[in-house]
Amino acid sequence: MVPDKLKPPIGVSIFILFALILLSLQLMSSATQESSELSAMYSWLLLVNALGSVVLLGLVGANIYSLARHTKRREAGSRLTARMVSLFVVLALAPAAIVFYFSMQFLHQGIDSWFNVEIDRAMEDALELSQASLDQRMRWHLRQAEQLAEKLSNSSETLATLELENFRELAGASEMTLFSRQGRIVASISINPGDILPSLPDEHTWLQLRQNGDYVALAPVRDDELMIRVIVSVKTKDPQYLQVLYPVPVRIADLADSVEFAFVRYQEMNFLRNSLKLSFSLALSLVLLMSLLAAIWVAFISIRNIIAPVKELVKGTQAVASGHYDQIVPVLAQDDLGFLVESFNDMTQRIARAHDETRLAGLEVENQRAYLETILANLTAGVISFDANYKIRTANQAAYRIFHIHVNHFIGRSLLELVTDYSELAEPLKSIQRLLEQADDIWQQRIAFLGSNGRQELLCRGTPLFSQEGSRVGAVVVFDDVTDLIQAQKNAAWGEVARRLAHEIKNPLTPIQLSAERLQHKLADKLEMGDAEMLQRSTRTIVQQVEAMKEMVDDFSEYAKPSKKQTVSIDLSALVQEVLALYMARPGVKFKTAYEAGRLMIKGDPVSLRQVLHNLVKNALEAIDVQGVIEIGVHRVQKNNADFIEITFYDDGPGIKEEQMEKIFEPYVTTKAKGTGLGLAIVKKIIEEHGGAIWVDTSRRLPEMADVSQSSGSRCDKVGAGFIIQLPACNFEQL
Amino acid sequence: MPILSTLLCFFCLWWPISVSADEFGVVVKSAEMKLQGDNYVLAADVDYQLSMRAKEALENGIPLYWIVQLKVLQHRDMLWNKTLVEDSIRYKIQYHALLNMYRIKNEHTSEVTNFSTLTAALDSMSKVRDFSVIDKAALAPDQQYFAAVKVKLDRDSLPLPLRPTAYVSPQWFLSSAWYVWSLTN
Repeated sequence: MVPDKLKPPIGVSIFILFALILLSLQLMSSATQESSELSAMYSWLLLVNALGSVVLLGLVGANIYSLARHTKRREAGSRLTARMVSLFVVLALAPAAIVFYFSMQFLHQGIDSWFNVEIDRAMEDALELSQASLDQRMRWHLRQAEQLAEKLSNSSETLATLELENFRELAGASEMTLFSRQGRIVASISINPGDILPSLPDEHTWLQLRQNGDYVALAPVRDDELMIRVIVSVKTKDPQYLQVLYPVPVRIADLADSVEFAFVRYQEMNFLRNSLKLSFSLALSLVLLMSLLAAIWVAFISIRNIIAPVKELVKGTQAVASGHYDQIVPVLAQDDLGFLVESFNDMTQRIARAHDETRLAGLEVENQRAYLETILANLTAGVISFDANYKIRTANQAAYRIFHIHVNHFIGRSLLELVTDYSELAEPLKSIQRLLEQADDIWQQRIAFLGSNGRQELLCRGTPLFSQEGSRVGAVVVFDDVTDLIQAQKNAAWGEVARRLAHEIKNPLTPIQLSAERLQHKLADKLEMGDAEMLQRSTRTIVQQVEAMKEMVDDFSEYAKPSKKQTVSIDLSALVQEVLALYMARPGVKFKTAYEAGRLMIKGDPVSLRQVLHNLVKNALEAIDVQGVIEIGVHRVQKNNADFIEITFYDDGPGIKEEQMEKIFEPYVTTKAKGTGLGLAIVKKIIEEHGGAIWVDTSRRLPEMADVSQSSGSRCDKVGAGFIIQLPACNFEQL
Repeated sequence: MPILSTLLCFFCLWWPISVSADEFGVVVKSAEMKLQGDNYVLAADVDYQLSMRAKEALENGIPLYWIVQLKVLQHRDMLWNKTLVEDSIRYKIQYHALLNMYRIKNEHTSEVTNFSTLTAALDSMSKVRDFSVIDKAALAPDQQYFAAVKVKLDRDSLPLPLRPTAYVSPQWFLSSAWYVWSLTN
């Protein structure tokens, strides 16, 4: 780019350029003085100045082009530069043009005023006067010469030669020469004895002489001395010519010279009038042009320098507008613009700081939010928040754990929309939706439903959210899976009941039995046959019932007492095989077993676990009655990043009824005519005390099997029941 | 751009004149080197035809200077020609109003001649004679030599106001071309 190339020593180059321009203009101005020695260089100076103008024109042109390009591209500061430059050019051009116009006018009028008709006339008259004066003198000398020739014609050639000197002196001539007709010098005499050779007339003179017979003329002779040359013919028998050179008096010659000089000078000036005007106009135009061009060029540079900080400011502002706050505009000068730039820098720094603070605050809020989200996500309670239209806004991880639905995927949808996809959750979701819509205050509700893990009980707490103005903006529902808690509470209550029963009932049983036996012993002999028999029967009934009650109370105490008495490492597959071995001999029952290879170790009380297995096998045997298959599998499973040993237990008995499914592990729930209903309750208690879980495997109840069981009415004994027990596996390190 | 427009106007003003005016210019009609004793002397005939403008200037008392330039060159095969002699004669022709005469001054010999007519003056100036150029001994017989003559109007000697015009107007383009001939011993 042109400006950049011109930049480095800009001040110096401008100074030098101006000095050169001034010098060349001064030289040209001096050269116009005629006497100046520089006049010989005038042409060169003119050329140099013209070239200088062209160079300046080029510079200005390049600047204008560059400015036009920048303006077209709408570069920062270009429009301001254009405006300032045009203003400057207009301001500079207007007075310059006026001055130029009037200068030209004055110049032309001034030159024209030198010349007028009167002077013209006077000059010509003066010249004519001088010529007339000289003419008169010439005619007079001609006459004189003719008289001399007359005298000479009477004397002989030899005499004439001698008389010539007298005649010369008489006539006051400076030289007298006698020529033969052929132009040969016959005799010659001069005032100056040193002049041996007389001044000879030229061919033209001879020609005129022959035509006219005489000749008179004013001519410079020898050292530019003005002389009157007169030639007349001497009429002798051999015709001759007499040439007389008369000196013009010094005074007259000087005056004539002066007149001639002035006339010539005036003539010359008159002739050169137009050329003079032209060359003055040329010089004036050149001076003006160069000054203007130089001024415009310097204006470009200065304006660019002035605009530079503005340009930077514009760029900076654009950058700030587009979000780059780290703009530092260089301070180029310590003036008002510099102050502006400093203020701008100050402002951008403040904006940057404020922006950073806002960003940090936002980040902090975001962190806070993320932290809260993390807490929410890791809460065991499920939390779902709703907007004013009961659409889901957020849901935490626990919500998924409880519902087994990725509630997060349904943000922006209502709970009822979930119902269509997850029909098994229809009941609780509808309840929550209803409660959300109805409640104006904090509400709490237990909702039970049958989930994929069996019966689940939720404790839901909802809080409608209100804005500061009091309008409803949404709601939050917190729910907890309290199934296990309630179960535990129930178990604890039953345990307490059992313990008290055992304690309160068992104590009077032995005295009752002993008393009955004593009554029989004492009274048997004293009573009659009939009465004694009745006594014996009654006593036996009492003892039998007491025994039964004792047994029942033992069961209760069994249920109430902690089962995990001592914990040792047990190979579960070995334990299962050991227990099953006791029942192998039983006819009609087929045991199918599947054990995973390797030792499936757990930690637990072998006695209690053995009782669990006994209870389950007994249950199965009772269920299948006469003939059937019992499938038992032991294998390792992984659940929630922990190893479990799973025992699956299936029979092909009548199965468990739907309505019993929920309460099968509660005490006093039995389908059998005989039994306390504590079997499965004890099993569950022991398993839970070992940190495991037991549940009825509903997945084995395939739909077609269920259909078969329904269509066959009461014959549903081949549906079969299944239990799954999971116990925490014991790692080898723990052994 | 006043200078450009001025020059342009100037051209427009002068062009038609230069086209319509009579033939003018200076031509070297013939030139030769003659041996005079041991010296070669120049004898040349030049035809001077002044333009209207030049005549006008002359009649208004402006002196015209003419330079007869002469060069003797030695031809060299491999190199550029060697200039042996470079000389010039300067004539001044001026009109004297008082005497109604044209005066020619040979600035080489300081000889002044007066003529009552311009034609006579130009005729006198057109014959260049006895201008001693080079010693015979300076020329080797086996070399080839050239001589060149040119007559030039010295525009730099014109009055200052006339010079810019003279540089651009064809009316003032009066110099002749180089007249070159081979020198034979």
